[in-house]
Amino acid sequence: MKLVAVTACPTGIAHTYMAAAQLEKTAKKLGHTIKVETQGAMGIENELSQADVDGADAVILATDIMIEQEGRFARARKIQVPVQAALKDPDAIFAQLK
Amino acid sequence: MALELEFICPLPSGIHARPASALEEVVRQFVSEVTLLNRRTQRQANGKSILAMVGTDVRLGDTCVFTVSGSDEQKAIDGLKAFLHDKFPHCDAPLTAAKIETATPLSPGLRDAGAIIYRGQPVVPGIGRGRGVQLGKFSIPPSLPRNGVTDTEKEWRRLDASLAKLNMAYDHRLVVAKGVEAELVRVHQAIARDVDFQNHLRAAVTERQRTAAGAIEEAETHFSKMLAASGNEMLQERALDIQDVCRQLLREIYGDAVKTDAVQLTAASVVVAESLTPGQFLALDRKFLKGLVLASVGGTSHTVILARSFNIPTLAGVTDLPTIQLGGQEIVVDADAGALVTDLTKAARRHYTLEERRIAGRRMRLEKLSVSAVTTEDGQRIEIAANISTAGEADAAFEVGAEGVGLFRTEMLFLDRPTPPDEAEQFESYRAVLAAAKGRPVVIRTFDVGGDKPLAYLNLPAEENPFLGRRAVRIYPEFETLFRTQIRALVRASTAGKLSVMIPMIATVDEARWVKRIIAEEQKKCAAKKIAFDPAMAVGAMIEVPAAALAVEALSRELDFFSIGSNDLLQYFMAADRMNAQLGVLSNPLQPAFLRLLKLIADAARTQKKEISLCGEMGSHVRFLPLLVGSGLNKISAAAPVIAGLKAELSRLNQAACRQLLESALQCATADEVNALLEQFLSQVNVPLLETDLILIDSDATTKAEAIKQAVDQLFIMGRTDNSQAVEDAVWRREATYSTGFGQGFAIPHCQTNAVRFNSLVLLKLRSPVAWDSLDGQPVRVVILLAIRTGQASTTHMQVLAKLARKIMDEDFRAELEQEKDAARLGAILQKIF
Repeated sequence: MKLVAVTACPTGIAHTYMAAAQLEKTAKKLGHTIKVETQGAMGIENELSQADVDGADAVILATDIMIEQEGRFARARKIQVPVQAALKDPDAIFAQLK
Repeated sequence: MALELEFICPLPSGIHARPASALEEVVRQFVSEVTLLNRRTQRQANGKSILAMVGTDVRLGDTCVFTVSGSDEQKAIDGLKAFLHDKFPHCDAPLTAAKIETATPLSPGLRDAGAIIYRGQPVVPGIGRGRGVQLGKFSIPPSLPRNGVTDTEKEWRRLDASLAKLNMAYDHRLVVAKGVEAELVRVHQAIARDVDFQNHLRAAVTERQRTAAGAIEEAETHFSKMLAASGNEMLQERALDIQDVCRQLLREIYGDAVKTDAVQLTAASVVVAESLTPGQFLALDRKFLKGLVLASVGGTSHTVILARSFNIPTLAGVTDLPTIQLGGQEIVVDADAGALVTDLTKAARRHYTLEERRIAGRRMRLEKLSVSAVTTEDGQRIEIAANISTAGEADAAFEVGAEGVGLFRTEMLFLDRPTPPDEAEQFESYRAVLAAAKGRPVVIRTFDVGGDKPLAYLNLPAEENPFLGRRAVRIYPEFETLFRTQIRALVRASTAGKLSVMIPMIATVDEARWVKRIIAEEQKKCAAKKIAFDPAMAVGAMIEVPAAALAVEALSRELDFFSIGSNDLLQYFMAADRMNAQLGVLSNPLQPAFLRLLKLIADAARTQKKEISLCGEMGSHVRFLPLLVGSGLNKISAAAPVIAGLKAELSRLNQAACRQLLESALQCATADEVNALLEQFLSQVNVPLLETDLILIDSDATTKAEAIKQAVDQLFIMGRTDNSQAVEDAVWRREATYSTGFGQGFAIPHCQTNAVRFNSLVLLKLRSPVAWDSLDGQPVRVVILLAIRTGQASTTHMQVLAKLARKIMDEDFRAELEQEKDAARLGAILQKIF
């Protein structure tokens, strides 16, 4: 599958990036492609364009806070999870996609 | 015919004991009757009574009138006028209120320790542990009769004689007392000889048949009430001074019969008292006095000021105090956290063991810094020296890392005394500083008096414009004997170390030549008398008059070195009185024209191959350091408390970058532009996230709270925060959203706060795993603390941390961190991903 994701934790220092790494690693393991946008203390990085979102099969939002530009995902198939879920059991998130 | 003089009180704390005693000193010189009227309160007072003047409750901005009548009324009015204009606005400066800070949240390690905690307001920071010793309040023993004196004349004579004896006792104490203590003795002496105070005592005895004890009790109540009624906290606290004088007076009369609460400390103690008079404080053995807890709040009482000057951790405003029964148990006064801790548990003791480690760690690191000379990051050596005002300050300055004394202001030796110090006294003082310096360079400035520092024995008439008038080198020819005495003392002391003599307020080459001639003559006389001296003693000048700034080349032919007195140079250069807060913008050293002047001086001195330093206020601001380094100074001299900070900052700066910064600053049009430029420069100063000393490979933390505390304390020890409690608090606030223990034995606590100076990373490896409420429920063995300074988030450091956060999810990387046992190699592993 072709996936996109956004990670964002309260301070934007650690868990945003830890979750991003975890999602990328798990996607690779399961044979998916994924592009993960991080919204942390440095602002938005690896930003998802509308085309990225529209071209994806699903969006994973691993976020604990309100995110920027949520409108991009209005029409997409979304899976919303807390950041911790991405750290603790990323496989379970991907299982929801089936 | 009476004369009147109206004035508006310029003192922020009004006329309390200290300004009142200064006024009384002026009034006392004249025979005329002087009364002070406060128009706001309509209270009137005898100008020869400090207590009465204090009682008029004069506050900032009150309109007051002096009425003078008597044979020398014109002279008295002139004297008062000059005093009010020149000295009065500044006579209250050093007694600033000890700062009272609001209590911070408690560290969880203490909060959950199970000990009993009373909150209070920290007035002197620090932590003290010892046996709790409770002191009672001042009271006159009930056994002493108060009334029914038959021979009232005889009783008054007894009391009067005791007042005289007390007065003498104060004189004796003034010979040895220094600093705050001397100040205090003067205030007490003034109370003891106060006309109103004495009249009150006399009336109580002669008119109301009171005994001495009864009269003292009456006076104490009367004046304390009067001060309490003033509604001014500072005045209310002076009631303690009245109590002290009364207590001392009682002792003069009744001897040991009033030894009510003299406490002999025999082991480390924390003294707990509802209130403590300064006299009671001074009677305590400071060897054993580890802390002080008071019920009454107040940052301006003399007791608190004394505690501050002796560095005794002090907590005030502990309202539960009267109900606490300590029974001699060990207690802790934690003025850093604003807490009195009793009934110590094992966990509380453990917390304070960690606290002691934190404080000792910082001290050891400062000591390490203090022995080393520092250079900028690119190897430029700049000496960081100390400004001192008394010989006694030298040792403390060297302890905190001063590489020399850059300015010893000798005028303190000359001020506040009836006659000038003789050659022997001066020699002893100069020799003491040189001895303390142990071969490090010492710059002694000849007396800078006149202007804002008038001396009674010089009899200089008051001037319209004292700062532009007769002061420093300008009065030396007129008081040549006084100056020669100082020079002789300096010439003789020159064999005791590396001494340089500095002349204040030099404006012309003529002045420099005159001083050089006097020095040469005194050296010649010493040689003739076979008195040893160092013929190579350097002679230099303060650059504080703009004319001198533009005459460095010519002055270099006469002098060996220069030191910029930035305060006076700035006020003369900008034509802006630095005491006038409304001219603050003009008194800003970041004015581009002033920076240009600094650079011009430094360049000229360098061309002439003369040492150029800066010893003014500007050098005490760590923030300005890049601009000073950029101007090419050889030395910066500042107050002792900022020396370690200056040295640490200096080692982080790059001189080439600083030079560029100054060049850009010189292109700015306004001080605000310079400030913005400086701010940008400082935010880019490259302090690494991680240093080996931030890696602790064998932490003995036994709980999550201890581990977080140890990691944060390491930031404190390394000078990356001055407020570990605030950082700890920020970490715990983040921890409250969800645990940072992400599993596999790792935790990554973090925070964003202004309480850290630089973005930092601390790595802690725990000897035994601790519970962290982790995602996988497993205990934690490795802790990585990330502390980010608010506003510095968008720098390269954040990218590094993001990389680290990603990397930490990698099993192999975690294994590598777990296996490595060496701090330096662990640092290298982390550096690899940076």
